[in-house]
Amino acid sequence: MITRYQIAYKNLLRKKARTLLTIIGITLSSWVLVSLLGFNQGYERALNRDIENMGYQIMVMAKGCPYEAATMMLQGGTGLRYIEKSMVGSILKEPEIDQATPILMQAFFDPNKGENGGIAGYFGVDPATYPSMKPFFRFRQGEWFHDDSADEAVMGFEAAELEQREVGDMIFVPEKNVKLKVVGILERTGTQDDGTIFVPLKTLQKVSGIDMITTIGIKVKKDADIVELENKLYKLPDVQVVSLSQVKQTIMKLISTARIMVLSVAIIAILIAMVGVINTILMSVLERIQEIGILKTMGAMPGDIFSLVWTETLILCACGGVAGIGFAIGFASATDFLVRIILPYAPAGGLVVIDVSLAMLTMGIILLVGLMSGLYPAWKAGRVRPLESIRR
Amino acid sequence: MENSAMFLEARGLSRVYRRGSEDIHALHEVSFSIQRGEFVSFMGPSGSGKTTLVNLLGCLDNPTSGELDLAGRKIFGNGNVLSERDLTRIRREIFGYVFQNFYLIPTLTVLENVALPFAFYRKPGARLEEVRRLLAMLGMERRMDHLPAQISGGEMQRVAIARALVNRPEILLADEPTGNLDTTRSAEIGEILQHLNRNEGLTIIMVSHNPNLARLGGRLIEMRDGKVFK
Amino acid sequence: MKSALKDVALALDQRLRVFYLAVTLIILVTATPVCGAVGCDLNDPDRDVARLFPNSSGYRTSYASIEKRGGEPLLRKVETRLGDRFHGIYETVDVPYTIYEIYSGKEKVGYIHGVNEKGQFGGIQVFVALDMAGTIKSFYIQKITSQWAKKLRDPAFGAQFRGMSLKDLEQYDPLAGKGTGKVGEIQNPVSEAETDFRAALRALKKNLILMDEFVFSTEGKKP
Repeated sequence: MITRYQIAYKNLLRKKARTLLTIIGITLSSWVLVSLLGFNQGYERALNRDIENMGYQIMVMAKGCPYEAATMMLQGGTGLRYIEKSMVGSILKEPEIDQATPILMQAFFDPNKGENGGIAGYFGVDPATYPSMKPFFRFRQGEWFHDDSADEAVMGFEAAELEQREVGDMIFVPEKNVKLKVVGILERTGTQDDGTIFVPLKTLQKVSGIDMITTIGIKVKKDADIVELENKLYKLPDVQVVSLSQVKQTIMKLISTARIMVLSVAIIAILIAMVGVINTILMSVLERIQEIGILKTMGAMPGDIFSLVWTETLILCACGGVAGIGFAIGFASATDFLVRIILPYAPAGGLVVIDVSLAMLTMGIILLVGLMSGLYPAWKAGRVRPLESIRR
Repeated sequence: MENSAMFLEARGLSRVYRRGSEDIHALHEVSFSIQRGEFVSFMGPSGSGKTTLVNLLGCLDNPTSGELDLAGRKIFGNGNVLSERDLTRIRREIFGYVFQNFYLIPTLTVLENVALPFAFYRKPGARLEEVRRLLAMLGMERRMDHLPAQISGGEMQRVAIARALVNRPEILLADEPTGNLDTTRSAEIGEILQHLNRNEGLTIIMVSHNPNLARLGGRLIEMRDGKVFK
Repeated sequence: MKSALKDVALALDQRLRVFYLAVTLIILVTATPVCGAVGCDLNDPDRDVARLFPNSSGYRTSYASIEKRGGEPLLRKVETRLGDRFHGIYETVDVPYTIYEIYSGKEKVGYIHGVNEKGQFGGIQVFVALDMAGTIKSFYIQKITSQWAKKLRDPAFGAQFRGMSLKDLEQYDPLAGKGTGKVGEIQNPVSEAETDFRAALRALKKNLILMDEFVFSTEGKKP
């Protein structure tokens, strides 16, 4: 006819505003918590995916600051350092290496891009080895080059969109006054490849008059010892080894500061919610001392009263937790958007990933914290003696 | 049911409270016995110790000294003090309580309030149907889905009586059951108690300073200064 | 105290530098993640607005697309007025057009609007600055990839369009690449760049038609 659960939830309805405010507090803190946890796993996943989409885990570049080289390239193509293409052959002898592909990056100045001119970047890639490193490339139109020294280009989706190019159209390499035919346009990948123009390595070497390369992309065999390989590559003369796992670690280290900050906010939010729960439940216990005394004359043991009060706590936390997780999932894309504004580098794809196990984990944490908050009020209620409460 | 002559027996029950450095003898060496099926009323002015006595009889409190036997069981005696847990166990087997201030749960309906004891304890033999039967007997069958705020004081006390009876207690303990009611309602409650005693064979121990009500019982015990005068 | 602060700032700067460089390395060629069709924006709106409208005090940006303003029927209407069909995978109904409304104080004094057009070797971005009557104050090509880009971007070429309006451009047939009246008198500065020259004129006509559909006709000030 009536269960303890019904008694508990009907009691919470007694002070609707207070109950609602408490639930809102729990909702907000669980929202923050689950979003943070979702970001924790989502960001790393997205970063891994970005790195995986590079196709290679290690890059070998000419000595000198590799970072500088990359920046220089973006600024105007001067100051790039080169390595011999023959190095690819010698690197391939290492047993850990699955594939290696030579890349030549070139940037040419186009005075007719905007007011002050701009840079047009080109990727010279080897048609024999590069495509197999990017097996996830899909062509929107056309295909790869027909010949390793053809005057052809494959364009990333956004590069093609900006230049309004379709297969069969021509592109014009500024500075060098060379025309290339577009043979392929890639589907959007969500990575930097979208803005890239690929040209056969030999063609780009011919156009730029440089018979060397800037980079070697290395794909390591599965289960191979990457650190061991890196150490071997470091011994090569005049080269710089850039491991993408190192880059990832650098980024993760920098992100961790932000993570710690958000985590502290989440902890504070949970503490505030906890105090709210303690206050609500304790108030409700104190207001009902006489009723609790009566329940004891009916035969309720201290443990019964304890569990009754705990049930109330549990209901509050479950409602708040479910609502918070619901909001977090519902507004995940908004959170994503915010995170992208705050972070200087955000990988492509969903940054906030909330799955079932994460939702369960958050729910577990919220319930645990809730039960802890309910401990004192429930214990206090359990100790109420009927004689004293009724005589008040 | 065992037909023991002495259903409740108190021997030399005393209760002393300490207030500051002063000892207050609320109850002083009280002895008497009650038989099964009796309707006993305790009467006396405030401070006469009647409530203290009823609390001891109803196992809501431990005496300072003295012995109490209930239904053939030794409850208090030899100076042993029962824990709240032990007292609860005895209470739920033997007693139903009715208080001056009804103490209904405002968020539960009349029906739910009466069924409330079952949420914590159901005595073997106590049936769910008992809830409706009792409410019908007390004339509350049309009020079952009302909330306490929607019924009158007299009706609230009827609900409290029904709630005290669902677990089929051996003794109904009524502490000033009409203290908050007007004369007409008081008389109604008195009739109900009398009916329960006569027709259902329920043992009733009542405390009241209302002489009309106290006279309803088969036996009247007067109290003064912590002592009984039969 | 001051030097300690400076050290902290330097350390932070170093960290940031490493961070940005690492990021640069990963990105190499930066790509702005835009979804859907690409629009045509001013490279540096603050500077460009001040240059095209020296007396302006500010501007407001609004967006319009054929899809949102009238869908398929509007597309047909625009194509009819243009005298050519929209073609290619980039000239679509959902292309967002950015319209800059220029203000001098509280008074609106004109518009800047650009469109993308397919050129011979790449995308061409044709911008016009219009007064409130829809008359061209300035015409210029923001971006064009071509051997002869310099000639087409020359202010002298753009100056020929000053004072013209949609009425004049209506005399231009983009399919035939010929026009009469004022348009017919426009000179191609480089005969080799005929394709890009025609593309620029088609872009200009498209630009003015869209401005008429999106702005002037709705404001009841049809030029």
